[in-house]
Amino acid sequence: MGFEKFGRFGYVSQTKINPLLSYLEKGQIAATKCKKCGRTYFPPRADCLDCRHSAIEWVVLDGKSNLITFTNVFFAPPVFQPETPYLLGLAELTNGLRVFAPISPAVDKEQLKPGLELSLKVAKGSGDNLYYWLE
Amino acid sequence: MGRIGIIGVGHTKFGKRNDASLRELAFEAYSSALDDADIVSSRIDGSVVCSATHYDKQRSPAGVVAEYLGLNPQPTFNVEAACASSAVGLRTAWALITSGLHDVMAVVGVQKMTELSSEEIQELMGRAGDVMWESPFGTTMPAYYAMYATAHMAKYGTTEEQMALVTVKNRKYGSKNPNAMFQKPITADEVLKSRPVSAPLKLFDCCANADGAACLIIANAEKAKKLTDRPVWIAGLGLASSPMSLAGRKGPLTSFDVTKNAAKAAYQMAGVGPNDVDVAEVHDSFSITEILNYEDLGFAKPGSGTRLLEKGETELGGKIPVNTDGGLIAKGHPVGATGASQLFALTKQLRNEAGSAQVDGAKIGLAQNIGGIGMYSAVTILKA
Repeated sequence: MGFEKFGRFGYVSQTKINPLLSYLEKGQIAATKCKKCGRTYFPPRADCLDCRHSAIEWVVLDGKSNLITFTNVFFAPPVFQPETPYLLGLAELTNGLRVFAPISPAVDKEQLKPGLELSLKVAKGSGDNLYYWLE
Repeated sequence: MGRIGIIGVGHTKFGKRNDASLRELAFEAYSSALDDADIVSSRIDGSVVCSATHYDKQRSPAGVVAEYLGLNPQPTFNVEAACASSAVGLRTAWALITSGLHDVMAVVGVQKMTELSSEEIQELMGRAGDVMWESPFGTTMPAYYAMYATAHMAKYGTTEEQMALVTVKNRKYGSKNPNAMFQKPITADEVLKSRPVSAPLKLFDCCANADGAACLIIANAEKAKKLTDRPVWIAGLGLASSPMSLAGRKGPLTSFDVTKNAAKAAYQMAGVGPNDVDVAEVHDSFSITEILNYEDLGFAKPGSGTRLLEKGETELGGKIPVNTDGGLIAKGHPVGATGASQLFALTKQLRNEAGSAQVDGAKIGLAQNIGGIGMYSAVTILKA
């Protein structure tokens, strides 16, 4: 239990990758790495796709990323509607893995374009919700 | 492999069908398909009911649909692949007949969406993507496709004006299709001035939720030839999957690998290529999707889908007429019925019964049906 704290509004409460929340609380964003083959996963996975091992370790990411694409959402699910319009983006991290995340409203949306360098940082939601966004 | 033929097709009026329940919509389409095939219900030895069941108040709707259609005690079950449910249902029925387990089956695509409040629909829409890693940020169906549009615009210079041409074309053909939800043409200016949904997509770049049903009766070659003198043959079936999460997908997001993979399989099975296709139905859930589909299906080179539109090549009389029944944008999108609706239109085309939408001498038709945010894509090729 507890993972519903992830995101602006979480849907899933039970998962093996709960430790992500502890990293977010410390201001860090972490990926999982297979202890056997070394493959790294973000978003984190509890189970390695390649060797089917489930012994993982956590590695902290530097957050450097390049924007791949984005949108500005005007029409949203009811729980998110009060926050509209808001930006969502897809970015590639330095390790080649990708992240889907909100884009901070502090980013000038006129400057947004594929290839723009952004940084993935921890963000605080309402209540004790935690997530990450691109800024 | 023996050939499998479509021997009867049926289609309801799509739109806000306040007059009918899920089972009644299914009956309308099924009954007109039986009339079209000129057979009685007892000939059907199994049914595949295709819907995105999370929209239905009825749990496991195949149960009540089969009962209402009079298809007990024959086998029945649901097939769910979001917006591609009935294309996948056809694939399932094809395999069941090819295996010899069945001879004649009904594939019933049906969806009742307006029973839900717009709040409920919006809530469901918010869970269309990966609920663990993407929905918690406020995703929507249009948001995902808008991100493909942004990428395509940045890489190829595609404009909102060019995207509007898809809606203008499809609404024009919808105005000639009595089953379409939207019966009026629209101008590019009206599309461009419609309110933003998820930039760069605006209201009229998007298809609408709808109620409706479409039904296909299919049979093995022996029965098909015995029961009808105008079977349309299923020549190619391609289906592929892609990661559901956007973060799990590769490349610049200017195309759908899932459609390219499904198309490759369908072309190979049918022994044809994109240049052989006379008429096509593609999944225009959003205007940008139709442009990407042209490219992913091989009708245009990457980045040049918009040129087909500007030159009128996907209009009636063009090189490859697309969505001459109005597509999802004009017909409305009753999720589970859409794939069967596309195949209804192609069957009419290949029988030379498409009226004012008829493509002269059409012999090979292609339907492409995307599921959800692009985790499934089905390509079906029919031959006269």
